[in-house]
Amino acid sequence: MISTKLMQVKSLCSYTCLRKLSAVSPKEKQVTKEDPVLNHPDYFNVHNLFTVKDLFDARVHYGHRDGSLDERMLPYVYGSRLGHVIFDLDKTAEYLRMALNITAHVAYRDGLILLFYRGSQNSHIVEKTAKDCGEFAHTRFWRGGIFTNANKQFGAITRLPDLCIFFNTLNNVLTQHTAIRDSAKMSIATIGVVDSNCNPNLITYPVPGNDDSPTAVELYCKLFKQAILRGKEKRKEHESHK
Amino acid sequence: MLKTVFNVIKTKHIQTNQGLQCLGPFTTQACKFSNTSQLCHSEKQTHEEKQNISKAMKAYLDRAREHDEFMNEQNQEYQLGKRHLANMMGESPETFTQHDVDNAIEYLFPSGLFEKKARPMMKPPEEVFPQRKAAEFDETGRPHHFLFYTGKASFYQVLHDTVQHIVDLNRFEDAMIRKGMRPDKDQKINLSGYQWIDKDSLEAKLVETIGDKDYESFVQAFERLCSLPYSYKVKDFIMEYRKPLMSQTKAHDAPKPQYDENGRAFVTTYECLRKSARGDVTIRSPGTGKISINGEDITYFDLLQCREQVIFPLLFTNMINKVDIEANVEGGGSSGQAGAIRWGIAWGLRSFLDQETIEKMRLAGLLTRDYRTRERKKPGQQGARRKFTWKKR
Repeated sequence: MISTKLMQVKSLCSYTCLRKLSAVSPKEKQVTKEDPVLNHPDYFNVHNLFTVKDLFDARVHYGHRDGSLDERMLPYVYGSRLGHVIFDLDKTAEYLRMALNITAHVAYRDGLILLFYRGSQNSHIVEKTAKDCGEFAHTRFWRGGIFTNANKQFGAITRLPDLCIFFNTLNNVLTQHTAIRDSAKMSIATIGVVDSNCNPNLITYPVPGNDDSPTAVELYCKLFKQAILRGKEKRKEHESHK
Repeated sequence: MLKTVFNVIKTKHIQTNQGLQCLGPFTTQACKFSNTSQLCHSEKQTHEEKQNISKAMKAYLDRAREHDEFMNEQNQEYQLGKRHLANMMGESPETFTQHDVDNAIEYLFPSGLFEKKARPMMKPPEEVFPQRKAAEFDETGRPHHFLFYTGKASFYQVLHDTVQHIVDLNRFEDAMIRKGMRPDKDQKINLSGYQWIDKDSLEAKLVETIGDKDYESFVQAFERLCSLPYSYKVKDFIMEYRKPLMSQTKAHDAPKPQYDENGRAFVTTYECLRKSARGDVTIRSPGTGKISINGEDITYFDLLQCREQVIFPLLFTNMINKVDIEANVEGGGSSGQAGAIRWGIAWGLRSFLDQETIEKMRLAGLLTRDYRTRERKKPGQQGARRKFTWKKR
C-alpha cells in the first residue's frame, strides 16, 4: 500500500520533468531516495482530512441509474439499490487519499493546479475554491487547444498547469471533457471524480464518486483546498528554515 | 518544473500598461559597482537570477522590449511630424497642441470621405496602436489571475463577481426573512434612464474580445442580480456596467443668464440653424411677450404655420407672456427661418426653466437640432429623386 503510493509520487515527478515548457530548469531539489518528503507515505497527513462517514454524509456513494453504468467503473462499485449504482466508499476513500496526497505534493513543489467543473450549479464554488487557495479554475466552455496550442492561444509562451483536478469529467451526459484528452496528450497529471457513467481510463488518479450533488462537490472542494493549503504551508515552513 | 524556487531575487514589478520599461535589473545592476570583486559577484547574481526566470517570462520581456522600441520610434516620428506641421502653420512648435494638429491636418488635407476614421489623421502612437496587456504571470510563469486559463480572465471575473453577489444577497435575504424584516422599498434600485454598456465598451473596459453569446450571458447575469429584492446593496457594482441613456442632452448645461442695464436677465443663442437659414435669438426675462424678428413683429411671417412654429416653445413651456424675444435671422425661406428661431427660443429658454420642463421639451423634440437640408438635383432627373416622364414610344 505504502509502496504503491510512493510509486505514484515518483511517477508524477518523472512525468512532469518530461515537459520542458513549464517553469524552470530542474536545478535544485533533486529527487533523491533520501528525500524525506517523497519517501514519507503521507507527509502532509491528508488521511485525516475526512472519514468514510463524511463521504457517506456528503452522498458521495450515489451513482447514476444502473442502465447508464460504464463497465470500466465496475471495480469501484459496491452494488445497486433501487436501480441506482452505489459506490464502494472504502475504495473511494483510498483513491481520494491518494489524490489528496498528490495534490499536496504538487502544491508543495509550487506546481500550478487547475480545477475543472462543467455545469452551472456547482461551478461557482469550484472557482471560489481555486481563488481561495491561490490556484486556477476553468469552469467555462473549453476552447480547443488551450493546452495543445497554448503559445498561439495566449499569444506567448505559457506555463501550463502541472495538475488538473476534474470535479466532474463530463461535458454533458455523453461526451468527456476535452481537457482530459488534452492533458493526457501533454502528459499533465489528472485527478478526476468519476461517476458511474464516466470513463476513468485517461485519468491518472481517478476518484470514484458522485459528481453532481452540491454536497459532494462542496466536500471535494473543501478537501482539495485543505490539501493544497497544507502543501503550501509546508513549503513556506521549509523555505523560512533555509 | 515542479521545482521549488528558493532565493528568488525580487525583480522590479512590472505594471505599465504596455509593459514598457521593464528591462531594468539585468543590465543596469552591473554598472553600479566599481570594485571588480563586487562586479564578479553581481554577475554571478544576475546569472542565478536569469536561471530563476521562466521561459514564459523571458519571452514576455523580449516582446515588451520590442514593443517598447517600436513605440519609442513611433513617438519620435510623431514629435518630429508635429514640429514640421507647426512650422508649416507658422506657429510655435512648443505650444502646438493635439487640437492644433487635428485642425492643421483638416486644413492641409481636406477630405470629403464620409467615414471619419478614413480621413487623414495624425495622432500620438498610443492612440493609434492598440493597448496591450501587461505580463499576466510572474517570474516562475505562474499566472496572476485565477481564471487565466479560460483565456478571458477579466470577463469571467465579472461573471464570477456577479454570482458571488447573488449568492451573498440570497443569504442576506434569508437572514432578513428569519428576522422578519423586509427590503426597504425606498432604496429600490432605479434602473430607468440607464442601459447596460454595449459590447464594444465592455470589450474596451476589459481589454478582451467577447463573443455575442458571452455578452448575452453577461446581460442575463446582471438582470438576475438586479431582480433580487436587496440588489440596492450592490448598487455601485451594478452601476459600473450601466450607462445613462440621455448623456448627450445632460452634457449641454444651460448657460447662466446675463443682466442688461435695466436689470433684466437675458440669454442669447447664436448659430440657430435650420435648412439654409441661420440666426440668433435673445430671450429677455421678465417680459411681456413681445416678439421681434428682424425688427418686425410676428407678422414678419406671412404663413400661419411659421408663426405657430415660432411661438410653439413658448406655448409648450407656458412662457408666452413672461419673456421677450428678439431674433435676427437671414438666409433660407420662411419655414427654415421659423424653424431656426423655434430652436433658438427653445434652446435659450432652458436657462429660465426647471429640469423637469427641460426634459419634457427634450422628449417633445424641441431641443433636437434638425439637420435635414435640401437634397441636390441630379442630372438626368427632374429633381432630387423625381425622374422625367418616361414613355415607351
